[in-house]
Amino acid sequence: MLAYNEERNNAIMKTWQQLHKDPRLWQRYIIREYVLRAIREFFDRQNFHEVETPLLIAKPPAESYLDVFETTLLDRNRNEARAYLSTSPEVPLKKLMVAGLGNCYALTKSFRNMETQSTSHNPEFTILEWYRIGVDYKEIMKDCELLLLHIKKYIGKKLKAPQGNLHKLTYQGKVVDLSEPWERLTMVEAFAKWAGVDFMQFLEMEKAREIARNKGYSVDASTSWEALYNQIFLNEVEPHLGRGKPTILYEFPGSMAALARRKSTDPRFAERFEFYIEGLELGDCYSELTDWQEQQSRFENELHELKRLGKTMYDYDHDFIEALKIGLPDCSGIAIGVDRLVMLFADVKTIQETLLFPANELFESI
Amino acid sequence: MATITTANFKKGNFIEFRNEPNQIVDFQFVNPGKGSAFVRAKLKSLKTGKVIEFTYKSGESVEELPILTREMQYLYKEGDAYVFMDNFSYEQFNISAGLLEGFIKYLRPNDTYQVLVYGEDAVGVRFPKKVWLTVTEADEGVKGNTASGATKTVVVETGAVITVPLFIKEGDKIGIDPETGTYLERG
Repeated sequence: MLAYNEERNNAIMKTWQQLHKDPRLWQRYIIREYVLRAIREFFDRQNFHEVETPLLIAKPPAESYLDVFETTLLDRNRNEARAYLSTSPEVPLKKLMVAGLGNCYALTKSFRNMETQSTSHNPEFTILEWYRIGVDYKEIMKDCELLLLHIKKYIGKKLKAPQGNLHKLTYQGKVVDLSEPWERLTMVEAFAKWAGVDFMQFLEMEKAREIARNKGYSVDASTSWEALYNQIFLNEVEPHLGRGKPTILYEFPGSMAALARRKSTDPRFAERFEFYIEGLELGDCYSELTDWQEQQSRFENELHELKRLGKTMYDYDHDFIEALKIGLPDCSGIAIGVDRLVMLFADVKTIQETLLFPANELFESI
Repeated sequence: MATITTANFKKGNFIEFRNEPNQIVDFQFVNPGKGSAFVRAKLKSLKTGKVIEFTYKSGESVEELPILTREMQYLYKEGDAYVFMDNFSYEQFNISAGLLEGFIKYLRPNDTYQVLVYGEDAVGVRFPKKVWLTVTEADEGVKGNTASGATKTVVVETGAVITVPLFIKEGDKIGIDPETGTYLERG
């Protein structure tokens, strides 16, 4: 009994200690196992190749909005080489598709620095990426619908849930119907519906500033278009997405899609979508850019941006441009945050509750 | 008023939001799919007690409000308001239920609390690290259940329901962390 008091007074228990004390908490980690197995079953049944991509890499893809983990590789003579932790398996998967791999996926870890103090981020996280050859992003939308239904049914079977509700998910007291088709909204429609903003006007910098200022947001000389867009999106649009039914938000401004193909009918927009369930963003998909010259110029722009923002500098992956020169087949792919999927299916509020060793338990300062 | 940025946000800070006084209940960082970081704050209006969410650009400036703390005795409940009296000036203040929120179930008449004052208004109570309350209802622990860490629930004099170890009995004084509602120790 004394031990009980001492433990209570010794700050907060680590996850493994909580599990030791209350075995019921294992349930959400069992759900994690089921989610991973269901994902593999879904793709294996369709003859996708699962590949392992490196976590320790020499050149991250140039993406100015991400902060990379930087480390040092030593050879046997202690000569140093810059090394980084992978931010996503995208580039190696694309090189393998150039090499002839076909439909493929990776279910792996990725690392993004500075992503702390958030209930939907952990600096180390599990990512699922898959690519289909010869399709555009609309086919990936269907994959998402079917994958989530498959996971739901897999877990339902394992837990012996009543047969009738296999397409319905309860998350934090709200029922979400996963059955197809999900709600589909273009960015233009979403801004009109939830923010009362004409997005075509908003695309012009001066108009965007005026609209944001009229809405009461702080706007000054240094405020970028992207910041204005995100603030209206995060405050007025995102909270409404995926309520009761998942929402697919598609057709993003071209400036917001470093690796996506432009829409042929309207080059101001890129073939990109994200999907949301109960306000939580789960996945990000592109029709993949296959033009090496455009890819190279976008990488160069991103490097300028990295420099301007004072972030960790690195050279972009020239090997990837070489691969695109040989020819990436037309394909579409998506990245999904697997820990967030586990949040949904285990019905927990924070990403930390889906992890056995969340970063904020490992590093006491964050 | 002092200008701070989102980098200085702390839970419990008082700030101005759209010309109204608000308290930061919680905040976290958001990284949208493509773009820089934002800070999503839960703000509680000091006028209505209503909580809203607002997402700031990371680094955006806000005005921090000057809040004073005064020692006051809790007297009684009147309608939707809780009446407190300043221990030195005997001035009385009403605090609405919305602003006291989670603390209501630990309030005991005639006890002294640190009351937060903004201008002319009392706007909340600073949660003490520990409150001592007497257990008024407790079942006997289940016989034979000696597993370490086994718990049961009891009711304390103010009506709060607390999860405690099995050895706690009716009449015991127990220390509780009012912020989380967790049992800390037996008196």
